[in-house]
Amino acid sequence: MSETKPGEGGELWSEALAGLRSELRRRLASPDAREGGDGGAEETEHFDWVALAEDLRRRLGQFGMRERSGEVDDFGLDPETIRSARPLFRLLRKRWWRIEVIGLEHVPADRPVMFVANHSGLLPWDGLALAETIEEAHGPARRPRFLIADWLITLPFVQPALARLGGVRACRENAERLLATGRSVVAFPEGVKGAAKTFRDRYRLQRFGRGGAVRLALAAGVPIVPVAIVGAEETHPILFKLGAPARLLGLPFLPVTPTFPWFGPLGALPLPSKWVISFGEPLAPAGPGAAQADDDLLVARLTEELRAEVQRLVKEALAIRQGVFA
Amino acid sequence: MTTIAITGLRTFLGRRLAERLASEAGLRLVGLDRLRPHGLAAGIRFREVDLTRPDAGSTLADVFHKEDVDVVVHLAFRREPTPDLDGDHELETIGSLHLLHACAGAGVPRLVVGSTTMVYGPHPDNPNYLSENHPLRGHPPAHCVQNRVETERLVADWAARHPGTAVTVLRPCWIVGPTYRDAVTRYFGRQIVPTLMGYDPLLQLVHEEDCLDAFARAATGHHPGVFNVVAPGVLPLSTVLRTAGKRPMPVPTPILYRLRAYPSQAQTGDRPEGFYDYLRYLWVADGKRGWEAFGRPLYTTREAWMAAISAERMRSYR
Repeated sequence: MSETKPGEGGELWSEALAGLRSELRRRLASPDAREGGDGGAEETEHFDWVALAEDLRRRLGQFGMRERSGEVDDFGLDPETIRSARPLFRLLRKRWWRIEVIGLEHVPADRPVMFVANHSGLLPWDGLALAETIEEAHGPARRPRFLIADWLITLPFVQPALARLGGVRACRENAERLLATGRSVVAFPEGVKGAAKTFRDRYRLQRFGRGGAVRLALAAGVPIVPVAIVGAEETHPILFKLGAPARLLGLPFLPVTPTFPWFGPLGALPLPSKWVISFGEPLAPAGPGAAQADDDLLVARLTEELRAEVQRLVKEALAIRQGVFA
Repeated sequence: MTTIAITGLRTFLGRRLAERLASEAGLRLVGLDRLRPHGLAAGIRFREVDLTRPDAGSTLADVFHKEDVDVVVHLAFRREPTPDLDGDHELETIGSLHLLHACAGAGVPRLVVGSTTMVYGPHPDNPNYLSENHPLRGHPPAHCVQNRVETERLVADWAARHPGTAVTVLRPCWIVGPTYRDAVTRYFGRQIVPTLMGYDPLLQLVHEEDCLDAFARAATGHHPGVFNVVAPGVLPLSTVLRTAGKRPMPVPTPILYRLRAYPSQAQTGDRPEGFYDYLRYLWVADGKRGWEAFGRPLYTTREAWMAAISAERMRSYR
């Protein structure tokens, strides 16, 4: 209750209920006073009832307030939503996926970073898990924003939820602005190609876009940290893709996974695969500079180096894992 | 003595801007409109001009010449769309064309044109903050937005061909405040507000006084270029409605977009997506350039909205 902002109706409620409570207490107390004598024990019992009601009201109030996002930041992140979703994410990370984090010491804690990771899974669980991992280690100020593909932006319910949790549409302007204001960014240069690859192609890295992530990091002068996320591939393994019905629904493709569309919305639940998140050595090119960012050959070379490094980290992480679910 | 001519004297912005500038020393105000407004302040000279007439250009040039106008502020735009699509187009686009011809004819040194950030259009692939250089993609289902996009193109072309005139284009976002009324404030004024199920975009609102400040500074100073006139901060639609105590009524998008005669849209002549797409996708503008030129607004988005709803609540206690 301490987080709720005054003047949003909370005060009115508590005033009204405090009045109700004192009235209730008065009425409950008066018969006892009339009976006298043995009313003491009963009175404490009555008082407990009122306290219980008050407690219930407080809890309900908290429940209602949680939805009442007080403030969002300039990219729509709502700390309140993150706080209320945290227990769920902790459960997912620690119990459901049993995420093993390797090489966290490579991540600078004192400055914004461009994370470049392999992308997998239909829903951006990988980005969310990475953001939560970094926030747990380095505090909320260092929570990276993960860039999300365009097709997720058009989806109702998904888009606002991702925005409140720190998802930002993947485009140059947004990443530039985030880095310029000192916030870390998670880029998935494979893009939709990575998310939409079928189970057969798992952990085979696709082309790393057009080097946009490297170019932005160079221009902003932030280190690039390669990240391998192993396990997200198996959260929604795509068996095959349907074309015609997807076009009917206006989606780029309609995935068929072991759980979707067979179980309807329940198919959005990720499978409990074992995850490994592995951070590599930061790629810090000599000093920042717009000149470097304009050097197309350098950008292409660094992008390819980065892809090879992420692929190597993925292979290492796969070797650590004993099986998909163990 | 600087003479400022304001078209659209009967619009909210035109009237309020004229009254604000008329009280300043060293300025002479000429107000132009189709009809004389009631209770006009003494310092404002009124000249009757109908921008929808074919000879509006020469009439205007005549006025600019005779009054020796230094600055023209063009605000003769509909406050909100009307079902008269052709009439809106005649006034907003062709009217602007007449005005540009007149400015060229009379050799007006400075021109300020009022636009809106709605010209960027609500698109799923918009960046979170749209800069003034972003292409104006508009929103085809909203005919008034398309008129404004066309007007902006005409103005940009004209400005390139007339380097002697300093052209300022101001793009305010949705305006709110104690006295401002249009289709948007009417939408937010309902007790039960229809929204699109599953969408909760970030909205940006600017206070009417901050908007007028920007126009006043653009009219009295030299600020050539295009500027977004927005307040700092964004609010999700859900928060906007909750802080005002409105009840959102989420409607699935396919159902809402199939409705033809939707209550709050019936009088605009547009299909529902003309308005509701602005409550679906992002179209938040970056105000940095405007703040550097005209100063930081007094109200943030949240404060502007609070000012608007507190005034609305005061009105309900009659």
